Amino acid sequence: MGGNSNNNNISSAVGSGNSNAKLLQVLNVRVVGSGDRVLVLSHGFGTDQSAWNRVLPFFQRDYRVVLYDLVCAGSVNPDHFDFRRYTTLDAYVDDLLAILDALDVDRCFFVGHSVSAMIGILAAIRRPQLFLKLILIGASPRFLNDGDYHGGFERGEIELVFAAMEANYEAWVQGFAPLAVGADVPAAVREFSRTLFNMRPDISLFVSRTVFNSDLRGVLGLVRAPCVVVQTAKDVSVPVSVATYLKDHLGGRTTIDLLPIEGHLPHLSAPSVLAQALRRCLTCHHR
Amino acid sequence: MAADSVAGAHLHDLPEPILTQIFSLVEDVRSRNAMALACRRWRCLERSTRAALALRGHVRSPFLLPTCFAAVEHLDLSLLSPWGHHPFLLHYQQQQQYNYLVDQVALVAARLAQAFPGVSSLAVYARDPSVVAALAPLWPGLRAARLVRWHQRPPNLPLGADLAPLLAACPSLASLDLSQFYCWTEDIPPALQEHPVVAASLARLDLLCPASNEGFRSSELADIAAACPNLTHLLAPCVFNPRCIEFVGDDALVALATSCPRLSLLHLVDPATLSPARGDSDAKEDAAITGLGLEGFFARLPQLEDLALDLCHNVKDSAPALEALSYKCPKIKSLKLGQFQGVCKGTWLHLDGISVCGRLESLCIKNSADLTDSSLATIARGCRRLSRLEIHRCDKVTETGIKKLSSMLRSTLVDVSISGCQLLDATRSLRALEPIRDRIERLHIDCIWASPDLDQLPQTPERTAADDSDADDVYDEIPGESRNKKCKYAESNHDDIESSCFWFRTWARLRSLSLWIPAGEVLTPLGDAGLLSCPQLEDICIKVEGDCRTCPRPRQREFGLSFLALYPRLAKMKLDCGEAVGYALTAPTGHMDLSLWERFYLQGIDGLSLYELDYSPPQDKEVNQRSLSLPATGLIQMCSSLRKLFIHGTTHEHFMRFFLGMPLLRDVQLREDYYPAPENDMSTEMRVDSCSRFEEALNSRRIPD
Repeated sequence: MGGNSNNNNISSAVGSGNSNAKLLQVLNVRVVGSGDRVLVLSHGFGTDQSAWNRVLPFFQRDYRVVLYDLVCAGSVNPDHFDFRRYTTLDAYVDDLLAILDALDVDRCFFVGHSVSAMIGILAAIRRPQLFLKLILIGASPRFLNDGDYHGGFERGEIELVFAAMEANYEAWVQGFAPLAVGADVPAAVREFSRTLFNMRPDISLFVSRTVFNSDLRGVLGLVRAPCVVVQTAKDVSVPVSVATYLKDHLGGRTTIDLLPIEGHLPHLSAPSVLAQALRRCLTCHHR
Repeated sequence: MAADSVAGAHLHDLPEPILTQIFSLVEDVRSRNAMALACRRWRCLERSTRAALALRGHVRSPFLLPTCFAAVEHLDLSLLSPWGHHPFLLHYQQQQQYNYLVDQVALVAARLAQAFPGVSSLAVYARDPSVVAALAPLWPGLRAARLVRWHQRPPNLPLGADLAPLLAACPSLASLDLSQFYCWTEDIPPALQEHPVVAASLARLDLLCPASNEGFRSSELADIAAACPNLTHLLAPCVFNPRCIEFVGDDALVALATSCPRLSLLHLVDPATLSPARGDSDAKEDAAITGLGLEGFFARLPQLEDLALDLCHNVKDSAPALEALSYKCPKIKSLKLGQFQGVCKGTWLHLDGISVCGRLESLCIKNSADLTDSSLATIARGCRRLSRLEIHRCDKVTETGIKKLSSMLRSTLVDVSISGCQLLDATRSLRALEPIRDRIERLHIDCIWASPDLDQLPQTPERTAADDSDADDVYDEIPGESRNKKCKYAESNHDDIESSCFWFRTWARLRSLSLWIPAGEVLTPLGDAGLLSCPQLEDICIKVEGDCRTCPRPRQREFGLSFLALYPRLAKMKLDCGEAVGYALTAPTGHMDLSLWERFYLQGIDGLSLYELDYSPPQDKEVNQRSLSLPATGLIQMCSSLRKLFIHGTTHEHFMRFFLGMPLLRDVQLREDYYPAPENDMSTEMRVDSCSRFEEALNSRRIPD
């Protein structure tokens, strides 16, 4: 089922369910590249699939790469964001699995950044056979600190982020300019929230609540697929202890890959370094 | 318009042919729209006499094309939505359904030909040659064509393939404008050579595209000139660097002039001058163009009226050549010289160099290191008809020189641009233009705020008096003698007297203002510099340039757009932050990212009652991203009087929806008119469908007026 460039699979998948096909269109699903293996690139909140633009050329030749936008991405029609449905991460997992079904993908490699890593973990629990390997960039099962667990964020800092977002929401609702941006919040949360403020104020407030309330620590053990936790040397949002926690608790064989770069968005700030790391992870395939 | 005259006769009573004739002479679009609203008959007449039309909106449904404009001669299809896409594209999946595309193209083309039978001048966004191939044959009598493309040239295209369909289909083409069309320099000569008939009929050829940073080599230039002997207007970037192979030197110029003796407008520039960023001009090497060569060149172009030679290499001792210009090309009216040294020595009482060209009306001198105040004075003595003067990076020119020139040319000078000159900051430039303050109509200055104490005038109570709107009107009625008194005061340069007649500084006729400001600086000192009162100012263009990553953090929270509320008639603004470079999402700790910068720049825009805004967001060069951020969108949205909004960049659909809350907004477009424009497949936020959804929403609102 290898094919050359763009949208071959979409037209062939039209038959397999009208709603799934519509989802492919709504979430701007793109399949590029040619190869036997399928690679799914899933972006984090606040960006969209264009964040992978500079990493993509490294994989187009050898993989069929599936890109899509999360429903809350700025490039998706905001009318599709159902506030009743997307209260937890499970709805995002539903979307991901629906896309893969619509494209007739039965095995794939999954690369998820930040919150997409959490989505990937949940998806792998639901469909263990589907994911050959999970590569988790800047991932964390829970962002808030909790007793001995050091997630990286204090409740007080999160509250400041919410306050800024609520101010934006109020302003937006009343027709004023939402002025708070990611750089206005305390440094510890700043890099993470920079992207969170890149969405429409109501969606971004809602989504942030989802993100900071989610806690996957309990289900990590249910993952069977092998995982690679890619961590940058200095990510203010995700302390290195979280990477170790993931390694210790994920059910499948897990390795940590520490990159000598800083920042929470390595695919934007250092794409070639990240691409090399991804190649390493993808080719060293233990089965 | 409708005037009651003898016996109550009305414009409406005139016989049809005369009324048609009158209507066809009106050119202003808004007036025509108003005429069309008067009554049905007038509407028909207006529609049937309209000569120029720019189509906006999506060419999705061919039946939506207006057919009432039968007389249209100038048709602009380059702004169709979504901007920059294939005009016949129905859906982003179209590429697969090739059969449908061919049918669709044929249908739309036929419809266009039917709707606009008399088109003689066409502008179209030609993403690939198929667009032109479909449209050109519809109007074989086409006389003028303008192609636009900011996207990349399609790969694997044979040389000249972009132009071949056009040249093949339109044998009487007289004007070809490629100034916004990205292609290779190697594309042009073969295309022209393969169609000698068209090439021979070409009179206007504009090849100055800022996107390409390559110029034509001497052989290419010769080929073009040989193919088009009847050229009267030629604009082309050329390789003037003597280190390159086939550079353009004296011989090449002479060959050009010999092939095209009818040239009246000739602009040959170094491609580096076309880039939107200001380069630095360190001492450069010499060009291969000499004064003697230029004399031979000018001798062969007797019809020359408008000449631009904007180089990045020095042309030494150009004075004799410029004197020759005035004798050999008596019609010369407009001149632009870049990196010419010795333009006018001005050391003696006689006129030398450029000042001999007495008929000059527009003069632009760039990077002339030895241009001094006395040169300017001599130019003022010699070029008595000068109405436009532009000086860029002439570091020896001081305030005194400009002041002398402007007082000598008081009766003609209305357009002045001073930029990049070390000794002329904003305050000094404005002071230097004091003699023509009440006459100048267009002005450009750099917003360099100097801090020497002489320039900072104290905030005296006179400032509050200036807030009374009556003060300016009263002053304008005071007769000439006290105006002379004011001039005397201005020249004497005392601090306290300066401050007391400070609020008399009205720029009575200034209609258009252009400012250049380095990144990180604020706008508010503009008032102190002297531009406090501009009652007629309608149009302002602000360009911000610099590296936001390394410039110091601004101390104020706002750039100062709210200051512009002082100008009562300001309606149109162009805010170009495209050359301000920063981090979009990946700012290291301690740095401001672009969302903070946009907030800084746009704060206060809601206080301005703007009609039209052209905004270029700052860019992140690493990612080739020029995109609106949340605060920018929110701030623009608050500018409630805005009717037209053009963003030269991209943005999220979520953010575009903000604009729907602006009550008067009619025309919004995202125009990525920079090279390389983002390819839409993988690219960022605005996709074809998003654009269409947004426009449907925009068009379905009820507009109050």
